[in-house]
Amino acid sequence: MRTLSRMIFAAVLLGAATGASATVVDASSTTMVTAGQQTAGGLAGQRPDLLTAVPAFEIINVSARDIQAPGFDDLQIVLSSWGSYDFATVRTDAGVGTQLTGDVQTGYVKGQLFDRHLTLQVGREFIAAGAGQMIQIDGGSALVQLPGGISVSGYAGSPVSQRFATRGGYQDWNPLGGDLAYGGRLGWNLPLDGGYGRGLDLGVSALDVEDHGQSVRQDAGVDLRYQPSAGFTVTGNGVWDMYAARVAEADVTALWNVTRLLYVTADVQFTTPDSFLSNNSILSVFADSAFTQLGGGVTYRLTPALSIGGDYHAVLEPGPQGTGTSLGHEVLARLEYQRSSWTAGTDVSYIDTYQDGYTSLRVYGRRDFGPAFVSVDAMGTHLQTGVNGLNDTVNGILSAGYTLGGGWSAVVSGTAGVNPFMEQQYDLMAKLVYNQTYRAREVK
Amino acid sequence: MNRYLLLSAAAAALACGVSRDTRPQAKADPAYVFPHSPHVEGEVDCLECHASIAQATKLEARVRHVALPAHSDTCTGCHDAQPKLAIPARAAPFDVRFDHAAHLPRVKGKCVTCHSDLPTTGTVGRKSPPMAACTGCHNHQKDFQEARCTPCHVDLKRFSKPIEAFKHEGDFLRTHGQLARPTAETCAQCHEQSYCAQCHSPTTSPAAPQILFPEEVQRDLIHRGDFTSRHQVEAKANPTSCLRCHGTAFCDSCHTEQNVSPLSTITPRDPHPAGWVTKGSGNFHGDAARRNIVTCAACHDQGTASICVGCHAVGGVGGNPHPASFISQHRNDNRTKRAVCMACHPN
Repeated sequence: MRTLSRMIFAAVLLGAATGASATVVDASSTTMVTAGQQTAGGLAGQRPDLLTAVPAFEIINVSARDIQAPGFDDLQIVLSSWGSYDFATVRTDAGVGTQLTGDVQTGYVKGQLFDRHLTLQVGREFIAAGAGQMIQIDGGSALVQLPGGISVSGYAGSPVSQRFATRGGYQDWNPLGGDLAYGGRLGWNLPLDGGYGRGLDLGVSALDVEDHGQSVRQDAGVDLRYQPSAGFTVTGNGVWDMYAARVAEADVTALWNVTRLLYVTADVQFTTPDSFLSNNSILSVFADSAFTQLGGGVTYRLTPALSIGGDYHAVLEPGPQGTGTSLGHEVLARLEYQRSSWTAGTDVSYIDTYQDGYTSLRVYGRRDFGPAFVSVDAMGTHLQTGVNGLNDTVNGILSAGYTLGGGWSAVVSGTAGVNPFMEQQYDLMAKLVYNQTYRAREVK
Repeated sequence: MNRYLLLSAAAAALACGVSRDTRPQAKADPAYVFPHSPHVEGEVDCLECHASIAQATKLEARVRHVALPAHSDTCTGCHDAQPKLAIPARAAPFDVRFDHAAHLPRVKGKCVTCHSDLPTTGTVGRKSPPMAACTGCHNHQKDFQEARCTPCHVDLKRFSKPIEAFKHEGDFLRTHGQLARPTAETCAQCHEQSYCAQCHSPTTSPAAPQILFPEEVQRDLIHRGDFTSRHQVEAKANPTSCLRCHGTAFCDSCHTEQNVSPLSTITPRDPHPAGWVTKGSGNFHGDAARRNIVTCAACHDQGTASICVGCHAVGGVGGNPHPASFISQHRNDNRTKRAVCMACHPN
């Protein structure tokens, strides 16, 4: 914790020391209080205990962009952090057992140098490219744009854990289960004349994660994006689990704006879930099952404000004994209406998987009245396999807000519902948001 | 720790050197009052009213480059009297850099070369030329491909709508990851990582996004509504999707609180169906583990201390749990190198 705080302080101090002046600074502060009940504990065969949780949050987001600093074409500082205090029982989902807690969600300094051919980033950041797969690390990354459309990127750092808790090991919340991650990507792009985005991107990448010196994940990846026309794109990705010597995941997706009104997608995704367990998990040696999702979707804009769409995916999952194939289904249908002051929509979701599934209906809407708004979001679900003897859940949220001016706004929200874990659920939330953009000087 | 964070906040404030030139972003500019189209059709030279634009090397908020000529035959040729017009102020900053002085000679003073769609009376918002107006002459494909949008674009972070090539339509929740892997830097042109973190960082977030933003009903969020009641179904249909963001300890920490984990301090509730230990029962745990070991990991992933070891260690009653593919791949591994191997293979 102290190390990270020092890193952030050093990074911010660097910005101050350069006499930098930011063109744009976005700052927001959210003060939020929620109150509700959670279930916990309880003896076997009896109802769980009901706890009342009343946490208060202070969430700070600061983003300073286009900072003019010697040697940099562009410099950004981004910090998103929060603290909370539980007035009543400590929440069961907070990641620690203390009333006062907090974390840095994201915090990094990003600079571009040499006519933006070199990008450096230091801090708490995501690695999105290639086999990085959005891992979050405390560390650094670099991207070099070379002639001929070649790019080289690399990163190293410690995978992030909750509330700066122990890194690595099976008690770590981070999905990698390691204390050191490093890797990189070699990319090549070929721009094509014509509409924007036309071109080819190819990449090979690697990710290695270690836990106390022992490798817990070794992935090699390939990625592709090909866009032959402005409205048609094909992507492909593959990750090879080097330890298990098999494919961890592979996918191909096609996205097509057939017309300005019609948008079509098709995709196939193959995954071996046990490959995503870290190799220090003993469970990683028990299975080699594979899941394939195959399908696509359509969205059609009936009017400028009204769109209708649907997606279907067949789920090819392991059969009853782990061998063979069982066929499942995922269906989503949606209708949405959006105008300047109105948003309304409905979704129907259906999942049918081996010995389980659900059907849900969601209805939502929001109406803005000048500085005020009201929104409603209701969802009902029918579970194929009941939980605690119940098959149906209902959940509704009613929110209202008002823009107070000067960047201040307030929102209150209430949630009520019935579900298998809590016969009746009531939650309240109130938040006061300060959101302001500062422009320290005019654009030159 | 707090000392460093407070000092950081102070340093950030100093670094930004905010000159109190603050404007609420939501404040819109007033509607246009001038009917451009009849004047263009009447072949009135734009520079009659926008004379100073020919010397403007940059775009500046609050500077309109508009001045009706005091006495002009151009006006009185059609109007009975010299027209008077109150020019509404504009405050919204520009999101692009542009040098009119350099460009006007190249289009021979024909503004409509780029400004093909001009605002008219009552138009709210900008009528900026489309990017195609730039790319009609400049070839920026390479810059675009390398996501080097600056210095032309100043601040894409405030760009509200993606262009055609990056439409966020359909089931974008499902497809955005596939798009991001080859072109992560392109995403970063508009999205800061703090935006991604709202969904992608359950480890460090204060609360789930549907709790933080219940009023943003139009957003695609994967854990809407009463997700707790549905999570076991979603986990069965696509177990990998859970593991991308959640370590198994995340699952177990909640299951422990709910008393459905062996780590519970009191006798845990048993989530397993009847016949869990009976082979051929239809609910045998070995079959379930082969199908979807991730479900087991949500409670039983305690490394070498996992409950599995007791029965499945070499010589145990559970027998060899490895699938054939594992044995063929790791037949010659040095088991003493890995703690997880040593848990069952001590010799």
